Amino acid sequence: MPPSLAGAAWDDGRMSEEGRTTPPEITPLGDAALVVRSPLARELLADLMARPLPGVREAVPALRVLTVLYDPLTTTPQVLTANLAARLGGLTGQAGGKGRTLALPVTFDGPDLAWCAGRVGLSVTEFVRAVCAAPLEVAFLGFTPGFAFLTGLPEELKMPRLDTPRERVPAGSVALGGPWAGVYPRETPGGWRIVGRTDAVLFDVNRAEPVAWRAGDRVTFVDVTDG
Amino acid sequence: MVEPPSLTVERPGLLTTVQDAGRRARALGVPEGGAADPVARRLANALVENAAGAAGLEVTLGGPALRFHADALVSLCGAPFEARLDDGPFPLWRAVVVRAGQTLSIFGTPRGARAFLAVRGGLHGQEVFGSRSTDLRSRFGGLEGRALKAGDRLSWSVLPPVTPPHAFVGPDLHTPTGPDLTLRVLATPEATPDLLAALCGPTFTVSGQADRMGVRLGEVVPAPHDPTRVSLPNPPGAVQLPPDGRPILLLSDAGTHGGYTTPLVVARVDLPTLGQLRPGDRVRLRAVTLEAAHAALRRRERALRGVEAALSWWYKGA
Repeated sequence: MPPSLAGAAWDDGRMSEEGRTTPPEITPLGDAALVVRSPLARELLADLMARPLPGVREAVPALRVLTVLYDPLTTTPQVLTANLAARLGGLTGQAGGKGRTLALPVTFDGPDLAWCAGRVGLSVTEFVRAVCAAPLEVAFLGFTPGFAFLTGLPEELKMPRLDTPRERVPAGSVALGGPWAGVYPRETPGGWRIVGRTDAVLFDVNRAEPVAWRAGDRVTFVDVTDG
Repeated sequence: MVEPPSLTVERPGLLTTVQDAGRRARALGVPEGGAADPVARRLANALVENAAGAAGLEVTLGGPALRFHADALVSLCGAPFEARLDDGPFPLWRAVVVRAGQTLSIFGTPRGARAFLAVRGGLHGQEVFGSRSTDLRSRFGGLEGRALKAGDRLSWSVLPPVTPPHAFVGPDLHTPTGPDLTLRVLATPEATPDLLAALCGPTFTVSGQADRMGVRLGEVVPAPHDPTRVSLPNPPGAVQLPPDGRPILLLSDAGTHGGYTTPLVVARVDLPTLGQLRPGDRVRLRAVTLEAAHAALRRRERALRGVEAALSWWYKGA
């Protein structure tokens, strides 16, 4: 079952004054990429997708970072840096995108669930309630197809990563790692704390939109542990 | 309905996959994919008058045996694989006519790892995010998202018959192959002077962990351990340094984002060479400036476009 759409969308108001006053930092990464560090990274990505810049092959987001892969045979880092700085200067800091709201059914029975609850001094029931109450948001997609980095965990729910990653994390595992929550779309190695699992199919090339979520979507985990 | 021309895989080889120029969907977490030696892919396609990004077969270390059911014009470019057409020789780096009923057998290569077999018309395969490249880990693209196996059938599009040129691609455009190779690299802001000295100087050995995702080097360098480093997008050719200190050079199927320190990035001009590394090769990393990297890329591109234009001119006039 894909994550259900619960309708409402609302403005992303986080990018307020900060975006307009912080000067952008644009640095080379190898000879065919530039890294833009800015609170407006996500808005810049939307802008580049709507109005492509010459020579830009791809723009890849991370948290407040946009990596711009370019063709050095078509443009130069100097020209591209100037163009990107100009684009950033024209952004309002308002249009972070209207996210959808996704409710993800989760069975909380992961191998690390009791450890996580114990670490913060909660019962498992209280811990699950707190995780489901967290206002999560898709910060960016990456790592593997369908994987989303979810922000919004309250401070007390941030879990240290495993010292030694598991070699195999089952597909559908719901996990917490550092500031992030995430769901492993398919079996991979992984170092986050597994608290549950979902049957939601997060990546399916046969769907019109293969990846189930987009950056900016709001996500809540819905406890379906008892059926 | 007329069946498209096709071939049958009699022997799959070690790892033979459908590849093309790859996809641009990293922002969705989807790896680039595509032929690991893009220069071999471009030249093989140009030799049979395909578009530069047409899909063909990437063969790895040990090649396949392919029985053709229709006439075809093919070319094999890349590492110096031994190959035979039925009982006769099969030359690399040129367009070769294969007749219906003939079997093309590709064997091993004494140096390098990969070659690209182009078939005039371009191979068919599952297209995902604008590319037919096989993504082995997520199992999509190409032929059911997997490597070839015996009994598979591959088809291609019919193009008007042509007279192939007798020309061959000269060795100056062949991607370098081992056992001793140098990769030009660029330092990133994560490269401390100590790290640069440890990485750019010694000779490394390619370990047995070498696939389409990445190549691990055998030796250990002192690695900074920063558990707070956040995941960032990996550019093509990124050199990652995990806590165990054994560098990983990322190839086309690598994950789109990574949390390990990335002190170097292989220059774009040397990505094809990176795609030819095989276990046991010795490799040195040589730091170059952005300007030097771009100048080298432009020089190679001029030569490549010269060959592509000459072949295109031949086909238009023939």
